Amino acid sequence: MAQINLGRKEVSCKIVYYGPGLSGKTTNLEKVYEKTPEDNKGRMTSIATEGDRTLFFDYMPLDIGTISGMHTKFQLYTVPGQTYYKSTRKLVLQGADGVIFVADSGTDKIEENAQSLADLRDNLAENGLTLEEMPFVIQYNKRDLPDVLDIAILEEKLNEGKVPHFTASAVTGEGVIPTLKGLSRIVLDNLNKTSSQRPARPKPAGAQAAPAQPAKPAPAAQRQAVQPAKTPASQRPAHLAAPAKPALAAKRNVGTPARPAAPPKGVKKPVRPAAGRPPGATARPARSARPVAVPEKKNMTWIYVSAGAAAAALVAALLL
Amino acid sequence: MSNIEKELVQNRLVFYENDIEKINKVLQAFITLSEAKCAMLIDKEGHMVTNAGQEAQFDTDTISALAAGSFAATKEMAKVLGEDEFSVLFHQGKVDNIQLTLIGDRCLLAVVFDERTTIGMVRLYAKEAATRLMEIFKVVEKREPSADEKLLKDGFSNDAGNKMDDLFGEDA
Repeated sequence: MAQINLGRKEVSCKIVYYGPGLSGKTTNLEKVYEKTPEDNKGRMTSIATEGDRTLFFDYMPLDIGTISGMHTKFQLYTVPGQTYYKSTRKLVLQGADGVIFVADSGTDKIEENAQSLADLRDNLAENGLTLEEMPFVIQYNKRDLPDVLDIAILEEKLNEGKVPHFTASAVTGEGVIPTLKGLSRIVLDNLNKTSSQRPARPKPAGAQAAPAQPAKPAPAAQRQAVQPAKTPASQRPAHLAAPAKPALAAKRNVGTPARPAAPPKGVKKPVRPAAGRPPGATARPARSARPVAVPEKKNMTWIYVSAGAAAAALVAALLL
Repeated sequence: MSNIEKELVQNRLVFYENDIEKINKVLQAFITLSEAKCAMLIDKEGHMVTNAGQEAQFDTDTISALAAGSFAATKEMAKVLGEDEFSVLFHQGKVDNIQLTLIGDRCLLAVVFDERTTIGMVRLYAKEAATRLMEIFKVVEKREPSADEKLLKDGFSNDAGNKMDDLFGEDA
């Protein structure tokens, strides 16, 4: 979601290049980077594998300058196209203000394009959005190759919503900037519309207004220990908030004695109850799992056996 | 996705001058107490809200995007462990270190520091700063813009389009 910062007079929008693997998303970004004047771009960052395939995302900040007194920036991201990086794509897609779908025009790629488009819909849905409400354009890339489908066929198969489309050859740079310009305009139009005509914020049933720390949902079956009522971090006094949470740490290590995390250097250790069971306490303390009972029992048995044997020996000696 | 999460997705944060002044004061106090080099407030989408401390020697936009990405990735790790998310991340370097602290639901405090201070000092004062920042965010998140409020001037997108034409050329 774009950030409008009236304090710093800045508008910052996030644009994501989406599409199947090897359709040319990173090449698009590289060409935008090449064509952007030095003063208007930051560093291009690629989190890629050794083989130069996108692992997490490629990123470049694009500064288009001051417009109506607002410094306007675009953050351009690509997603990894390979099928098994679906969850990574979902992360990159979070908070996107617009999506450019880079389709491979190859005759044998129509199925991959359709799958990637379905994946985009899924990932948007998981983020609570639909493709219809998202500023969206399609780029039919690799038009320079010999075996490409007609635009009419691609449109019929992929462009269900009849969104604006662009033809491109990212390798040569053709069509790259028009695609970006096309989407940017829609994103900024949408920004203005939603800024000025944003409907009143819905109040979801049961939702608290802007909680500082939302109540944690009951953690799944992994944690079965009963959690004591926890004071939210925001309400805890600062001097108690600094060190690690010993009770929680001990609880997670039920069965193995937990070593409370040492407070960081320079921080006064807060006073807290001793870890063992306090005298007269009925509730089970967090660290009661300390394995002390079993060895004690063994020791007592050994004493009883030894005492019995000694008594028997004494009786035998007396009888003799 | 919970109702609260949906609401967060659908509502953008708008920071007014007064908000930024208040946030800057908190960050400045944090820098003085912790002796960190610089502090950046970043939203979870990777946009920087504001910063304080030494003039950054690095690309703050890139750091913001990567910090948000790093946080998002470790959130998935946390989920695997049965946590909602990790509230503090720490990256240690030979000279400079970065600590990321979650602020409420929408923002991160990224602190860059070196050997002039310790992780303990940074963590302690970052906790205090986080509490104060969350108070400010409660107001920012709850605020309802009036129906006729225009944050951006009419023709903003047209002007932006023209600006991009100037930047890349008409036919690019």
